[in-house]
Amino acid sequence: MRYKLGLTVVLAVLAWLLPYQVNSYTIHVVDVTLLLALLAVGLGLAMGVAGQINLAQVAFYGVAAYATAILTTKAGLGFWTAGLIALVVAAGFGLLVGTTALRIQSHYLGIVTLGLALAFTNWVTNAQIGGGAEGITAIPVPTFPGVDLTSEYLYYYLELIVFAIALGFGLFVVHTPLGRRMRAMRDDSLAAGAVGVEVPMLRMTAFLLSAVFGGAAGVLYAGLIRYVAPDSFNIATMFLLLAMVIIGGRQSLIGCVVGAVALAVVRELLVDYPTYAQVAYGSIVVLIVVFFPAGLAGLPGQLRRILHRLGWWRETATAPSLRAFQPYEPGTPTPDPAPALLDIRTLSMNFRGLKALRDVSLAVVGGEIRGIVGPNGSGKTTLFNVVSGLYRPTSGEVFIGGHRSTGARPYAVAQAGVARTFQNLRLFRALTVRDNILVALDRTRIWASWRYAFWQLGVWRYDQRLRADADAVLERFGLADFAGSLPGALPYGTQRRVEMARAMARQPRLLLLDEPAAGLNGEEVRQLGDIVRSIRSSGVTVVIIEHNMSLVMSLCDRITVLSSGAVIADGPPAEVAVAPQVIEAYLGDSAMSADVPDAIPTEVAR
Amino acid sequence: MQVTIQTFIGGLSLGAIYALVALGFSLVYRTMGLVNFSHGNVVMIGAYLASTFYISSKLPFAVSIVVSMVVTAAIGIIIERVLRPLENKDFDLMLIGTIGFGIVLEALAIMIWGATGQAVPSPVPAAPIILAGIRIRTYDLLVLAVAAAATLLLIFFLQRSKRGTAMQAVAMDHEAATAVGINVGRSNAIAFMLGASLAALAGGLVGPLLYVSPAMGGSLGIKGFAAAILGGFGSIPGAILGGVGIGLLDSYAAGHFQGYSELVTFLVFTVIIMVRPNGIFGERTVNRA
Repeated sequence: MRYKLGLTVVLAVLAWLLPYQVNSYTIHVVDVTLLLALLAVGLGLAMGVAGQINLAQVAFYGVAAYATAILTTKAGLGFWTAGLIALVVAAGFGLLVGTTALRIQSHYLGIVTLGLALAFTNWVTNAQIGGGAEGITAIPVPTFPGVDLTSEYLYYYLELIVFAIALGFGLFVVHTPLGRRMRAMRDDSLAAGAVGVEVPMLRMTAFLLSAVFGGAAGVLYAGLIRYVAPDSFNIATMFLLLAMVIIGGRQSLIGCVVGAVALAVVRELLVDYPTYAQVAYGSIVVLIVVFFPAGLAGLPGQLRRILHRLGWWRETATAPSLRAFQPYEPGTPTPDPAPALLDIRTLSMNFRGLKALRDVSLAVVGGEIRGIVGPNGSGKTTLFNVVSGLYRPTSGEVFIGGHRSTGARPYAVAQAGVARTFQNLRLFRALTVRDNILVALDRTRIWASWRYAFWQLGVWRYDQRLRADADAVLERFGLADFAGSLPGALPYGTQRRVEMARAMARQPRLLLLDEPAAGLNGEEVRQLGDIVRSIRSSGVTVVIIEHNMSLVMSLCDRITVLSSGAVIADGPPAEVAVAPQVIEAYLGDSAMSADVPDAIPTEVAR
Repeated sequence: MQVTIQTFIGGLSLGAIYALVALGFSLVYRTMGLVNFSHGNVVMIGAYLASTFYISSKLPFAVSIVVSMVVTAAIGIIIERVLRPLENKDFDLMLIGTIGFGIVLEALAIMIWGATGQAVPSPVPAAPIILAGIRIRTYDLLVLAVAAAATLLLIFFLQRSKRGTAMQAVAMDHEAATAVGINVGRSNAIAFMLGASLAALAGGLVGPLLYVSPAMGGSLGIKGFAAAILGGFGSIPGAILGGVGIGLLDSYAAGHFQGYSELVTFLVFTVIIMVRPNGIFGERTVNRA
C-alpha cells in the first residue's frame, strides 16, 4: 500500500515536470496520448470491468468533439459552456447506444455498437451542420483566467488534471460497490441477477460511464486541435483504442493507461512508416491475446507463476483450511399456523413443445425445510428458475410472502428476499471470495449511484461497512482463510460453501438450494445438514432440491416429488417414501417408464 | 416502378456478395464458435489478388479468382493455426485477436498495393440487357449465378461429404465430436480455409462493382457480418437471406437517402436486431442455470 502510494507520488511529480523536458512537437504528441489514455480508461470500464463490448467509444469521443465545435462556432457559446453541454450530449448518446445492450450481448453487441459508430461518422460526413468531409475549423481557444491555453504546454496541465481526476474516479468506481457489481455482472450475469444486481440498469450505467469519459476526451480534443473532421473518429481509431485496452490488460484501468502510452510510443517511433506501425501493433495484439491474455497488467502475476514453477519464489503463508461453520443465533419461532411464504399456483412452463412443468402447485410455510425430489429431467431446476425469475412461466402464479412475483426480474425477486444456489456452481470467477460475498451484501439500488458524482465519502463509508459485514460472514462460514483467493483455486466442497455463504449474505427470507450436496463427501454432507438446520432455526425458510435421499429424509419437514413436470406426491418424508406412485417414478414400471423422459436438455447447464 | 425494379436487381447482386461474405462468417462461427473479424480484410485481400492477376497478369477473370481463392485459403489456415490456443475458450479474446489480424492484413495491402486503390473493368460486355424496359447489367447476372453455384456447392459439401458431415458434428458439440474420433483441429482449419476462399470469391466478384481499396474490407466485413447476424448467426440459409436483405436495404437506402445510406442501413439493422436478437433463422437460446 505504502509502496503504491510512493509510486503514485513519484509518477505525479514526473508528469508535472514532463513539459520542462520536451520540445513543442513532443508536447503535442503527449497531449494527444493523454486524450487516448482517457478514452482507453472509459473503454476499459465498459469492456474490461462491465464486460460490455463497446465499439462505439470513438463515437462518444466524436459526438462530444463535434458538439463542442458546433456549439462554439455556430451557436456562439463560450468554450466551457459548450463543453459542458457536449458532455451531456455524449452521455445521452451513450445511454442511447447502451439501450442495445439490454437486448443483446457479446459479438452481437459488438457489431451493433460498431454499426452505430459508423452511422455517426456517416452522419457528420454528410450533414451540413458538421461541415462535411472538411469538418469544422476555427474552434475558439478555451479561456482560463491567468492561463493562456493556446500554449500546448499549459494545455497539458489542463489535460493532466482532468485525466488524474477521471482515472482516480474510475479506480474508485472499480473498487467500490458499483464497480464490484459490474465485475460480478461481467463474470456471470445470471448469478449477478440472483444476488440482486440490477443487470439491465447496470449495463446502461457502464455505457454512461464510458460515454462520459469519451465525452471528456472529445471536449478536450476540440480545445486542443481546434478543428474536427470525420476522419479523426473513424474505425481505425476505434481499433487502435481497442488494441490499447487489450495490450494493457482489459480488467485493470492502470493497464489500459499503460497500453495507451505504450502503443502511442510505438506509433510515434514509427511515425514515418505508418503502415509498418500498423503491422507492428496488429501483430502485438495477436501475440498478446494468444500468449498474455491478461495484457501488460497481467505480466507481474504471470512472472510470479513462472518463478514459482521454477522454485525461485515461495509463498510463506501457512496452508489455509476450511474452518467449522459457526451456527446462527436461533431466531424468533414462526407463529403457528405459519402463513405460506412461497405459494406456487398451477404453474406451467413450456419450452416450445416440451412441457417442463405442468400445473405445479405447492405451498411452503415460513420456517419449513421443504425437499423437492424427482428423477432427472422432472422439472426441479426449472421450478427454481421460474421462482427466481430466470424464466417467465407459461401460465400460473408465484407468490412470495403474499406478494405476487410471477414474471418479476431476477434482481427484483432477490430484493424481495429470495436467495439461491446453483446446481453447477456459479461463482464470480474473477472476483475473490471476499468480493463474491461483498456483491451479495451490497444492497445499493442503481438510483443511489448519484452518490458517486456528489457524495463519494458516503460511498466509501458504506463500502467500509460492507467489508466488516463480509468478514463476519466469512468467519461464520469458516472461510476466513480463503478471503483473498479466487474461487476457481479452491477445492470443490469449499466452493459449494462459498456459494452458500454468498446466498446467506443476502439475509434472505427464502433460500433455494439446488443440489447442494452434489459432489460432496460424507463428512461434508453431514456438515451441510447442520448448516441448513442452523439457517432454518435462524428464521429462514429453505427449499432444497437433492438426490441424496438420506440427507433429504433426515433434513426435510415435507417432501414434494416431481415427475415429468408434475407433482406426484407431497407430504412428510415417511409418507412420501412409501407412496406407490413415487416408487414407480423412481424405480420404473413397465407401464410408467414411457412417461419418464430423458434428461431435459435445458437443465444441462454448460 | 422501373427504377424500383432496377434498384432491386442491383441490390440483389450486392446482396449476393454480402451473402458470400456472411457465409464465410457463419461457417467459421458454427464450426468453432469464433467471430472472425478479419474476414472483411480477407475479402479485401482476395479482391486485390483477383484484380491484380486479372489486370496485370492478364489471366482470365475466372482463373484469377480461383488463384486468389487458393492464396486466401492459405491465409485462413495461418490465422486459424495462430489462434488455435484460444479456440472454444475465451470468446472476446479470439474476437480481438482476429481484429489484430485484420489490422495487419490491411497494412500489408497498403504496403503492396498502395493506399489509393484501383478500378476493375467488367469481364463481360458492359452493355446492359434491356428486358421489358428494365435495364439489367449483365455483370449483375453473372454475380448472381456464381454466388448461387458457390452456395449450392457449399451446401452439397456440408450435407453429403464425410468431411462436411464431420464439420457439422463439430459445430454441434466439439467435445462429443472429439470423442467419436473427429479431428476437431483439422475440421476447424477446413472451415477457416473455406471461409477465406468464399471471402476471396466475394472479393473477386465485387471488384468490378466497387472500387478496390484497402479500406473496402471494413465496410464489406461489417455489412457481411450484419447480414450473418440478421439471418441468424451460424445458419447457412440465414446467411443467404441476411445477405440479400442487407443488399436490398443498402441499395434502397442509397437510392432514397444518398449520402446517408450507411446511417439508415445501420439504424434499420439495429432496430431489427433489437426486435429479434437472434435473427430470422436464429435459434432461441434459453438462459441456463
